[in-house]
Amino acid sequence: MNIYIYTIRRLLYVIPVLLGVCFIIFFLFNVVSPDPARMMLDKHATVKQIAEMRHELGLDRPFFMQYLDVVKSAFTFNFGRSWSTRQEISEMIMDGAIPSLSLSFPAFFLATLISICISLFVSFFRGKVIDRLAVIFCVGMMSVSSLAYILFGQWFLAYHMGLFEISGYEFGFPFFIPYVILPIIIWIILSIGPDVRFYRTVILDEIYQDYVRTARAKGLSEIVILFKHVLKNAMIPIITYVVIRIPFLILGALLLESFFSIPGLGGITLDAVKSSDFPVLKAMTVLSSIAYITFSVITDVLYTVVDPRVRLK
Amino acid sequence: MKNITTLLTVFAFILGIGGCTKKVDVKERVLNLAVGSKIKGMDPIYANDRYSSNEVGRVYEGLLEYHYLKRPYTLVPNLAEAMPAVSADGLTYTFKVKKGVYFHDDKAFTDGKGRELVAEDFVYSIKRLADPKLQSLGWWVLDGKIKGLNEWRKKNSALPKVNYDEVVEGVKALDRYTVQFKLSKSFPQFLYSLAMTFTFATAREVVEHYGKEFLNHPVGTGAFVLPEFKQSNKIIYTKNPKFRKKLYPSEASEEFKQKGYLADAGKQLPLVDKVVVHIMVEAQPRWLNFQKGNIDYLGIPKDNFASTITPSKTLTPEQKKKGLILSITPSLDITYMAFNNDSDLFKNIKLRRAMSLAYDVNKSNELFYNGTGLPAQSVVPPGIAGNIKGYVNPYRGTDVAKAKALLVEAGYPEGKGLPAITYDISVSTVARQMGEFFKKQMKEIGINIKVQANPWPELQKKVDTRKVMMYGMAWGADYPDAENFLQLLYGPNKPPGPNGSGFNNEEFNRLYKVASLMQDTPERTALYEKMNRMIAEEMPVIWGLHRQDYVLYQGWLKNYIRSDFETGQVQYLNMDIEKKKALLSKF
Repeated sequence: MNIYIYTIRRLLYVIPVLLGVCFIIFFLFNVVSPDPARMMLDKHATVKQIAEMRHELGLDRPFFMQYLDVVKSAFTFNFGRSWSTRQEISEMIMDGAIPSLSLSFPAFFLATLISICISLFVSFFRGKVIDRLAVIFCVGMMSVSSLAYILFGQWFLAYHMGLFEISGYEFGFPFFIPYVILPIIIWIILSIGPDVRFYRTVILDEIYQDYVRTARAKGLSEIVILFKHVLKNAMIPIITYVVIRIPFLILGALLLESFFSIPGLGGITLDAVKSSDFPVLKAMTVLSSIAYITFSVITDVLYTVVDPRVRLK
Repeated sequence: MKNITTLLTVFAFILGIGGCTKKVDVKERVLNLAVGSKIKGMDPIYANDRYSSNEVGRVYEGLLEYHYLKRPYTLVPNLAEAMPAVSADGLTYTFKVKKGVYFHDDKAFTDGKGRELVAEDFVYSIKRLADPKLQSLGWWVLDGKIKGLNEWRKKNSALPKVNYDEVVEGVKALDRYTVQFKLSKSFPQFLYSLAMTFTFATAREVVEHYGKEFLNHPVGTGAFVLPEFKQSNKIIYTKNPKFRKKLYPSEASEEFKQKGYLADAGKQLPLVDKVVVHIMVEAQPRWLNFQKGNIDYLGIPKDNFASTITPSKTLTPEQKKKGLILSITPSLDITYMAFNNDSDLFKNIKLRRAMSLAYDVNKSNELFYNGTGLPAQSVVPPGIAGNIKGYVNPYRGTDVAKAKALLVEAGYPEGKGLPAITYDISVSTVARQMGEFFKKQMKEIGINIKVQANPWPELQKKVDTRKVMMYGMAWGADYPDAENFLQLLYGPNKPPGPNGSGFNNEEFNRLYKVASLMQDTPERTALYEKMNRMIAEEMPVIWGLHRQDYVLYQGWLKNYIRSDFETGQVQYLNMDIEKKKALLSKF
């Protein structure tokens, strides 16, 4: 099948998925979530004021009409204003996306690169002490809570050693760099454990294949075998693992953003959950769904690039 | 090789930038504050939380404010020329507005120059607070209190556009500088509402120019200017170059006089050039930045208390060496564990009293507040009229023997016959620990408690729908009047109003109604005390603590006083730049 037709067909799946997402978030909001009018009016709320606020928010209209509004905003990307902060949601997302991405993208890229390199390295020494130590080390790193890394890193490296800013963020390049280095380092440390274990398994699956034996018989060096042949063949699971995580980068890193006072999207989402801010929750859910579908299509297309044997249907 | 060299250069560059951490600025008088919550916006009518209200108060001002150096809290004129002329029946308040006060320059004004503040601005701001289309979060302050305002609100809610030009009898500009308020009923707390951010002066042309974006374009008359608000990690205010003549006070309460708070008396405000507010949601970065000298004052985080304060409640030598100063101030607040008085179970006063007697508030204070709180005997905290000095509630714990005896009288010997009591708390580690502590205490008299953690909105919903048996809560003062605390137990204020316990006592309700219409007189204080004592012993809730604020401030910061009403406080703060340089070298 033509790659373009395949992509368009897959992207059209967005429509039923979005309708479903809209229904689920609308249902959850109305069934599980507390009354936003009550939340906004806080401790001084009276029955009359709550009723008036519900009217202003449009919560006293029939459910079907409210659902139609949700669907409409999902397809027009006009999410309106936050109920809690009264800010334009598109502005909030744009303002938050830059700090989030300035942290998550380099961190994710470096973490992936480093983890793949380490995995190839330990795979080279498979079954030997280095490999075993690496596995033990990875499990050890995964056993420590992410909060512990953040608290210790912030206290020791930033406060005690004075190597980095303790917290904060400045907009614009290169001003933000000093503020994101430490969070990036912590992100990498947090990722290495699970990532190395995954990539190592994937690479080891390949390393015992016949073509590797053939390559060795032909006298190719281990480096060439690993980087040129094994890595290429291991790319499909690696791409799946990497690309499908990219949409979630946009949502930011909740804990890191919070502890390092980075004004990203993680905080916006969390605040929206805390304050029953339905328009913001709706926007974040819809955008995440679209990003997820888009990146799964990209993953499929990339399969054909890295492995010509794969055909899109 | 070339690639490796490039890679190493890039790495060194990044590390270089990373290594260049910013040094603390000691050239300008810049006040650095840390705030633990995001700021919603800069519109006075939506500033219903302490954080937003503090930010709004740096830019906007009201007719009245609390005297910076007087305790008990005393209202003084701010944008008003003097305190109002009040009619004999206490229903009409007439204010003269200060002349020569200008709004900040903004493009919404003709030629971009801020115009003079006039009485009509207050009329507009009050109507805006009542605007049914805006659904302000401060309407409760004036709801049903100003003549004709509720009718105006109701009428306009049905119209497509709110008519601000229609005259409301209760809020009128008599001339360019005179504004008059007529109350529909006696409301002695009215003046406090004029010191709250909800009623601060906004200019109609600015609101209309920016429309829905007004909340991001604060244009007030205050000591500091903020050209545009962005919901980010930092808010930077600069000194208002056109701020009117407003001087640091020359009078003070004795305690402040003795501590040298009058050193800046008579100086033009504000005393600092810039205020930088850093939004830091987590406690650790706030604390570490403070310890580095990047923040000028900070409440001590719970987890750092033991390493900062000695058992005798003084600073540790290490902190003293840095020149830090400790301020301990009682807050106008109360924590409590409420019974659902609507349930048949808790209509039994003996059961309520028994549970209170079994609860060790002092131990709880030590465990969860590092011993900093003051055990509450009733609802009104110390520092305001209505608190009964020296009063000890006879049903306060711990007296397990008496509690057990009362439980027998209540009909539940050793807790037999009592169902498991659910105690609802909000989700947090400390709340859970407190819940477990309560459970353990009640077990000693045979009462079985089931601790249930809920997200805060869920807890509120449960209280509103009366699906709670007991729940934990705290209340902070909106204004320094006992009425603000006594209303928590006034029957008609039942949920979703502030009386979450649902306590409904006819005699208490009658007295509350009478007192709430009285002016501040010894008779009213006597009535407040009577009510305070009555509910103390009725035990509609188990009284917890009146918390105290332990705040640390840098040795170079001058005039800092912890206040329950911080709006506008920063204009009085000052700093000693030379001392800052000297002290920072010790950090």
